[in-house]
Amino acid sequence: MIPGNKDTRDGILFSLPFLVIFALFMVYPLLFGLYISFFKWNILSTPQFCGMQNYIGLFHDQKFYTSLWHTVEFVLITTPVLLVMGFAMALAVTGKSPLRDLMETVFFLPYIFSMTVVATLWAWLMQKDFGIFNQVIVSLGGSRVSWLTNDKWAIWSVCIATFWWTAGFNMVLFTAGIKQIPKEVYESAQIDGANYWQCLNHITIPLVSHTTILCLILQVIASFNVFGQVYVMTGGGPAGSTRVLVQYIYENGFQYFKMGYSAAMSYILFIIVLLVSVLQYVLLGRKKEE
Amino acid sequence: MKKSVSLLLVLALAMGLVFGQGTKEAAPAAQAGPVELTFWSLFTGGDGEFFDAMVDEFNKSQKEIVMKNDTVKFDNYYTKLTTALAAKKAPDVIVCHQANLLNYVPNGSLLPLDEYVSKTTLDDFQTAPLSACRFGGKLYSLPLDVHPIVMYYNKDILKQAGIDKIPASADEFVAACKTIKEKTGKWGLAIDNTTGTYKAYTLTRLFFSMMIQQGGSFLTADNKKANFNNAYGETALNWLKDMVNKYQVNPNELDYDAAMNMFKLGDAAFYFNGVWATGTLEKVDGLNFAASPLPAFYGTEGWAWCGSHTLAIPVQENQDPKKVAAAVKFIDWMTAHGEMWAKAGHIPTRKSVVEKDAFKALPYRADYAGAAKYAAAPPSMAAWDEIYGTSSDLLEAAVTKNQDAKTALANMEKVVNGIIAKY
Repeated sequence: MIPGNKDTRDGILFSLPFLVIFALFMVYPLLFGLYISFFKWNILSTPQFCGMQNYIGLFHDQKFYTSLWHTVEFVLITTPVLLVMGFAMALAVTGKSPLRDLMETVFFLPYIFSMTVVATLWAWLMQKDFGIFNQVIVSLGGSRVSWLTNDKWAIWSVCIATFWWTAGFNMVLFTAGIKQIPKEVYESAQIDGANYWQCLNHITIPLVSHTTILCLILQVIASFNVFGQVYVMTGGGPAGSTRVLVQYIYENGFQYFKMGYSAAMSYILFIIVLLVSVLQYVLLGRKKEE
Repeated sequence: MKKSVSLLLVLALAMGLVFGQGTKEAAPAAQAGPVELTFWSLFTGGDGEFFDAMVDEFNKSQKEIVMKNDTVKFDNYYTKLTTALAAKKAPDVIVCHQANLLNYVPNGSLLPLDEYVSKTTLDDFQTAPLSACRFGGKLYSLPLDVHPIVMYYNKDILKQAGIDKIPASADEFVAACKTIKEKTGKWGLAIDNTTGTYKAYTLTRLFFSMMIQQGGSFLTADNKKANFNNAYGETALNWLKDMVNKYQVNPNELDYDAAMNMFKLGDAAFYFNGVWATGTLEKVDGLNFAASPLPAFYGTEGWAWCGSHTLAIPVQENQDPKKVAAAVKFIDWMTAHGEMWAKAGHIPTRKSVVEKDAFKALPYRADYAGAAKYAAAPPSMAAWDEIYGTSSDLLEAAVTKNQDAKTALANMEKVVNGIIAKY
């Protein structure tokens, strides 16, 4: 609000276009989702109230547990790797290398492609019988790797594609964080005889910790919502061994039209992400203040 | 006062922005001139171009109706269709697989067609696919085609291996495939068994067919329980498993696209897929292949899983009788020109089409047109899509990991019964 202007009318008016659309397309669906999670509804039928039955059903559904586990697995693999990769890339592009501008472009470029493009590309590269990776391996005398068709490797293959695709985004955040550290801090450390690793350990890493927390929270939320790469690259296969929770929500809602069940599952995912984020914020935030 | 007026104005403007799109579309096109019809096509698997060509031909053939065709990606088609039907704003004509009709019939989303279609037209349809579109005595759609799973085989490989008789039973297939492997070093079979672009549906389709060939069925007659956890099921699953693991004549971890590619490149002798593959396979240079109905692996009748595309008319908020009449004409024309649709590989449903010289002149199609006689439609039930997808996952695991057939089927029975109980 403009100082001295006590008229709230302008404020409300200016935010109204956004608020109306926000309420209509975000708040209303959110509340409606909660409401419908207590019903049995296939979009075309009249919703039938079924109390907590959808939620109770969830806890007896083995596929729900396996899908949730695959999501957690994906979060546990991708989050640390993507943070370290993003940080390492940021170090490279803020360093003294003459190639740093080129590197910045190259590292960030994959991120601007849409998910479908990236996932399709990697699915072809990793195709077992005709993909270029296996063609190279075979021509070097190796045997074909079941990148996407073996239940042990498939999730890792999806993760590799994800690393290539999204690490650039973390790099941008870390680069901004590193550039904010005053040059004088490094200069005085160097005068005192600190080497590169000491500077890294005692200056850079502690001083970008704000960015690290931000990246961590964003990354965990993004990884919990993983769906596209998995759906395009493996279709949740082989034999459902990479089906993630959002995919199971999608299948129930939009392929089998069990809207209530699917909404109930979304709310469980929502609660999990909420808890994890709050936990991270509280734990890491408190450490900061000490 | 002034304040609240301007507030209201802004609100109205904002609402206009949000809903303006909708009101524009809802305006009825009641002016004179040709009736404009809309259609969403789900044909993206190589058959789309043939469908578009038919629609063009229809538009050229008369002046009263203009059909506007929009292609929707197959994966999203039913999502889009269901939401449009819920809003009663679906296109004037829709395509729906026979197996999916039951999702839309009970809640009155589709218009019963009995009073619009003449008896002579109905009599021209083959009985089985037409009666599959009837529910509670009412006709809800007309079948455009049937598309069973059939067998393709590479004539050059068979010749090279010295096989001059097409195997006619499960055991003969084992023998033939072993011979092919010994003499040519190529794969005997290319049955896809892992998830890629699609799930391992071919496994479910073959398993489903083999159950019926042995005199059993996938589900019980009332569709209430699984019916495959028995000797028939074990025989079928063991055959599918053994070809990969015991005899090693079918590649393991083979996905749909790779299986198709393998057959295209001449690396596999026998290939099983829906008739829709014909249009793609015949375009491959130097591939000397033939098509035949699915052989009787067991017994004497080659029952084969089949799907059917049907055309229906959705119930609209304001149903325009002129549009309904035009839509019926369109459906009649499309089914009556099935020989054009057969170019995509599908089998026509009208007797007059099968008699046409234009159809008989098409290569391959006539060879498997007889498959329509032993076409086994999947059960009509809302739960089928989930059963179909889940069974494909479980059969994939059983075949690729060589699980014990008894244990695998017992587990699959439990899962399928659980799915049915939830609908």
